[in-house]
Amino acid sequence: MPVSAFRLPTSSTSDARLIANRVLITLLCAGWLSAWLLSFATLSPNRLAAGQAVMLRDAASEWQFAVMLVLTGLLTVAAFKRPLPRALAHAVVLLASLGLLLVTLYSLGDYAQRALADTSSAARISQGAAFWVIVFCCALAAIDTFQRTASGWLLRLGYMLIAGGSVAMLFASGHFHDLSIMREYANIRDDFADQLITHLVLVGAALGPALLIGIPLGLLAHRHMRLRGALFSVLNFFQTIPSIALFALLIAPLSALGNAFPLLGEWGIKGIGAAPAIIALVMYALLPVVRNTYAGLKGVPPATVEAARGMGMTARQVLWRVEIPLALPVMLSGLRIVTVQAIGLTVVAALIGAGGLGAFIFQGLGQYAIDLVLLGAIPTIVLAVIADFTLQMLVVLSKPAGTRR
Amino acid sequence: MIELQGLTKCYGDTRVVDDISLTVEQGEFCVLIGPSGCGKSTTLKMINRLIAHSGGKVLVGGDDVTTLPPERLRRRIGYAIQSIGLFPHWRVADNIATVPRLLKWPASRIAERVDELLALFQLDTDGLHDKYPHQLSGGQAQRVGVARALAADPDVLLMDEPFGAVDPLTRDALQVELSRVHRQTGKTIVFVTHDMDEALRLASRVALLNGGQLVQYDRPAELLVAPANDFVRDFIGRADLGLKLLSRRRVEEYSRAAQRTRNNALASASITWQVDADDRPMALLGGRLGEPDTARTVVTPEWTATPDMSMKEALSRMVWFRVTALPVLDSEGRLLGEVTMSGVMGHRP
Repeated sequence: MPVSAFRLPTSSTSDARLIANRVLITLLCAGWLSAWLLSFATLSPNRLAAGQAVMLRDAASEWQFAVMLVLTGLLTVAAFKRPLPRALAHAVVLLASLGLLLVTLYSLGDYAQRALADTSSAARISQGAAFWVIVFCCALAAIDTFQRTASGWLLRLGYMLIAGGSVAMLFASGHFHDLSIMREYANIRDDFADQLITHLVLVGAALGPALLIGIPLGLLAHRHMRLRGALFSVLNFFQTIPSIALFALLIAPLSALGNAFPLLGEWGIKGIGAAPAIIALVMYALLPVVRNTYAGLKGVPPATVEAARGMGMTARQVLWRVEIPLALPVMLSGLRIVTVQAIGLTVVAALIGAGGLGAFIFQGLGQYAIDLVLLGAIPTIVLAVIADFTLQMLVVLSKPAGTRR
Repeated sequence: MIELQGLTKCYGDTRVVDDISLTVEQGEFCVLIGPSGCGKSTTLKMINRLIAHSGGKVLVGGDDVTTLPPERLRRRIGYAIQSIGLFPHWRVADNIATVPRLLKWPASRIAERVDELLALFQLDTDGLHDKYPHQLSGGQAQRVGVARALAADPDVLLMDEPFGAVDPLTRDALQVELSRVHRQTGKTIVFVTHDMDEALRLASRVALLNGGQLVQYDRPAELLVAPANDFVRDFIGRADLGLKLLSRRRVEEYSRAAQRTRNNALASASITWQVDADDRPMALLGGRLGEPDTARTVVTPEWTATPDMSMKEALSRMVWFRVTALPVLDSEGRLLGEVTMSGVMGHRP
């Protein structure tokens, strides 16, 4: 099959076509179907008992439902070729999908407040499948629109800040207080903050050494052709080890080391805990860092480097003034990959006692408490998205001025 | 001044540059030319030690280049390559300031020098100062490349096919400009190209290389008149090279003193210019083929020459108006001298 068959539909629509944005139509269909077929929320008598499904039409108030109808109507119109011109249609999609996201979130919290006002305090309201589908459809519609418009980074940043800010404000206002997941959060509030910090510290502790080791290795790989093959085979081999296996493999040698040298043990070099987690994360992070450093340096035109040498720059000046600045966008893309990867892998590190948000996930799985699992999973996803977006912005900003998009 | 003494470069058993000796005098424009793989670029890069030589010696300004640390040597020698050599992440002004910054000039002196060079290359318009290389046209990028090479006012300038990647029209303009800058600054230039037209247009001396060896090192005209062997003849032996050569020469190089008279009387020389009170030529006495020396031809502006006109154009006018001499006029129309048909033939260009 030709490669192009796998590409997302782009804006290259033919004049004859009625629908301008097939992705949006698909997302709208998915949203509508889920709203009519799947539960929007679940009402259960207590934390662990199975719940009863509540549909969107029953959960949302009159005005909320009306707003949702208007916004989906706008999105539908925007998906067609007429009557809206393309630029206007894109603006409508961006605004309407954000509005739909917010009103969906709001109506869930609102429903929880109304439904629990006159029931026992043990009753719980959780978000259902339709809620998730609508939220993801909104996010995908916005992302897809940004792909289509090739818009500037400033617009993307602004949109992201407004969307993130309004969602954060909804949370901060206590609007979701009655949702099951927020009650779960209230129970573990202090522990949550600790584990979140532990998670971030683990990620940071892994990225620091990975960059300190990886960037020089990338330089070496660029300078010495013979080293390159061996280096990349070793790093590739690391990547093929499943993460749980790598954590387990590190337990034996590290505990032996900790026992043999009590001083090391006191420093935290033990079979379980942070030490094996960080070591494993570093090992996984090395390949993308080294590979992107190497690829970035390789992408610097040889003529530019020769000109720099010919002008009388020392090897160090060539590296710092010419090679690194020109390789920086590719190197930062590598950092973006490993940051997102490390945020995800740190979840698994909770299995060997390193802590972090993964602790809630495994705890929740053990107790069959799905809200606790989500308390670990959702913040992990949010962290990954924020890290990804921030580094994406840095990649754009690190390109020579005037070539940014 | 640059001296190459038995310069040799070997890669394994292959001698890519084989025992080359030549001297480039102060202010000379030396073009290294030859088929691809002849070692011309390698030779150039051994001058500023981008490539280490395997044997022989390179002297720049009388000093052996190996006695200096390579970076210090290179900061003393201008270096220009194709436009891709500009630093894409630096603005035009920063690119030009590269070497002065390496030499730690004070900021005010650097800014002054950058403005001076932008003016010299007629780049001081359109806010070019703050543009990035990818925003420049091909010709502008090349000029910035040459300006950057001249930034620290080096005595010697090395240029490695700097105009290789631009269209013929732009290349023409760049060549004219480089000639002008060479005349204005008096730098010693070593220039690599594989284009014989470019070599003839720019060079005061041409070094023709083949298979790593120096085949002939001479003035451009000598290559035409006295090629050292068949290889030289083949390499340059193409149609209307004589005209091409003349198109690279300016009238002032051929101009000689003119014989004047104020009245209609025939002067002693066969070509005499009748001038008015302001020394403006009115008529040519003699100077018509197949007619007696007494023939009088009234001067019209179509068959006059100016000092910076190309000799090809002057020759063309002589042929078209069937005269054997043109008056060379200054900007006021006064007679400076004359160029003649026999002068074109007899002059050793």
